Amino acid sequence: MTASIKIENLSKTYWSEDGKTETKVILPMSLTISEGEMVMFLGPSGCGKTTLMRIVGGLEHQDKGSVLLNGELLDKPDRRRGMVFQSYSSFPWLTVRDNVKFGTRYRRDISETEKQEVTDHYLAMVGLAQYRDFYTNRISGGMRQRVAIARTLASSPQVLLMDEPFGALDAQTREHLQFQLMDINQTEQKTTIFVTHDVEEAILLADRIVIFSARPARIVKEIVVDDLIPMQDRRSGDVDPKKMFDLRREIHDIISLQYSSVTEVV
Amino acid sequence: MFQSLFAFRKPIPHRLQTALGILGFVLFLGAWHLTAVSGAVRPEFLPTPLAVLEAFGRLFTERDFASDIVISVTRVWLAFLLSVVIAVPLGLYMSAYRAIGAMLEPFIDFIRYLPVPALVPLLVIWFGVGEASKIAVLWMGTFFQLILLIADDTKRVPSEYIESGQTLGATNGEIMRHIIIPAALPNIVDNLRITLGWCWTYLIVAEIVAANSGIGHVIWSLRRFVKTPEVMAGIIAIGIIGLLTDQALRFAHARFFSYLRR
Repeated sequence: MTASIKIENLSKTYWSEDGKTETKVILPMSLTISEGEMVMFLGPSGCGKTTLMRIVGGLEHQDKGSVLLNGELLDKPDRRRGMVFQSYSSFPWLTVRDNVKFGTRYRRDISETEKQEVTDHYLAMVGLAQYRDFYTNRISGGMRQRVAIARTLASSPQVLLMDEPFGALDAQTREHLQFQLMDINQTEQKTTIFVTHDVEEAILLADRIVIFSARPARIVKEIVVDDLIPMQDRRSGDVDPKKMFDLRREIHDIISLQYSSVTEVV
Repeated sequence: MFQSLFAFRKPIPHRLQTALGILGFVLFLGAWHLTAVSGAVRPEFLPTPLAVLEAFGRLFTERDFASDIVISVTRVWLAFLLSVVIAVPLGLYMSAYRAIGAMLEPFIDFIRYLPVPALVPLLVIWFGVGEASKIAVLWMGTFFQLILLIADDTKRVPSEYIESGQTLGATNGEIMRHIIIPAALPNIVDNLRITLGWCWTYLIVAEIVAANSGIGHVIWSLRRFVKTPEVMAGIIAIGIIGLLTDQALRFAHARFFSYLRR
């Protein structure tokens, strides 16, 4: 099951501890993400893209505006929006299998037998069936992220929120997981918001890239990647190098401009 | 060999670790023996280790020291378990709900800086000279320290674990039971082991007030007759019980939390 997300006139401000200084994090913005769409949030460091995603996940609250899931107003976290974090969030006291099974723990829609089946299904999907009995501090960082992804998918969320999930991994593992995520996305067709700093990663995985300005965040550009490089080509690796280069350059230029605008303000 | 023994922050083999632990005791006993036989200190103040060993035997044969040990162990464990039963849930809730933490923390900080021996007269007035005041002294020595340690252990559970639980559909109670407690448990057990040690350090204070049994009472009453070997034997008995308990808890910790090993 999947869902659409609608962000309406949402804004966010942080206040200093003494309540005297305000820092605007997100300027009023609206954004719609369709069912099954994978949207990448890209922008300068600290621009507010993670904050926006956490608000969608119900883990932080906006000052103004609203987040709607299939038209329903959201205000707190629940199982409909599953989150994968940058840091390893798999539980060290559980084995790989029990971690994935934890994703089904609060599901009332399936029986215990079905929970076992779901667990085994996602374990196999992320290629960790043979490590099922390992504790997570005895497997690599890449494997731990796969555990986290499988656990989130096992909870059957309607929307997948991924906060730089491959940010701490080496280039080789990162690439492997990116292709694995493409496969998973093709099968699951989950609505996904993916926060990243990596332009190549965004181009490879996105249906649409949303580029944010430096803090306070506003949307400066939206690029429908499929219009330029079809997903089929990206999946097969059959991408026109010139198109890839041009798109990468365009995005880099937009982001660089955001950094320079900050410097000018300072 | 020597270089690998002193390699910076590198583990050493388990057997070597045990051997070095024993060597520490042997060196201490050797230094003690040499000092005692050198005549630098009078034997009334520093008897030899052998004299203390003989006194140890006499305590068991002439004074029914085994019963005193059982009584002291019971008092310490009763007070300690009473602390644990109250401090663990309170510590968990102090970290989970900021309002509870904000209300209790300053008060606990105030109490835990009060010297326990200074509270003994008050505790005797409140609880009398029976078992209750002795348990209360031991409880005062551990409870207020333990509660803050538990709250700290719980606060250190990574927020990603809690947020994962929230986005997997767990309620606050389920997050507490299924995520926070298992995540904090290794540190909680470690802190229980440490505070149990502190509980033993208050034993003498607890057993000098109108007591007629217990290791503390034995040590305190023999002090009057300058029976230094027996006094030292009593002190060493506490050390041995502490060491054995500590090792048992360390072993249990390693068994129950084997997943922490890499």
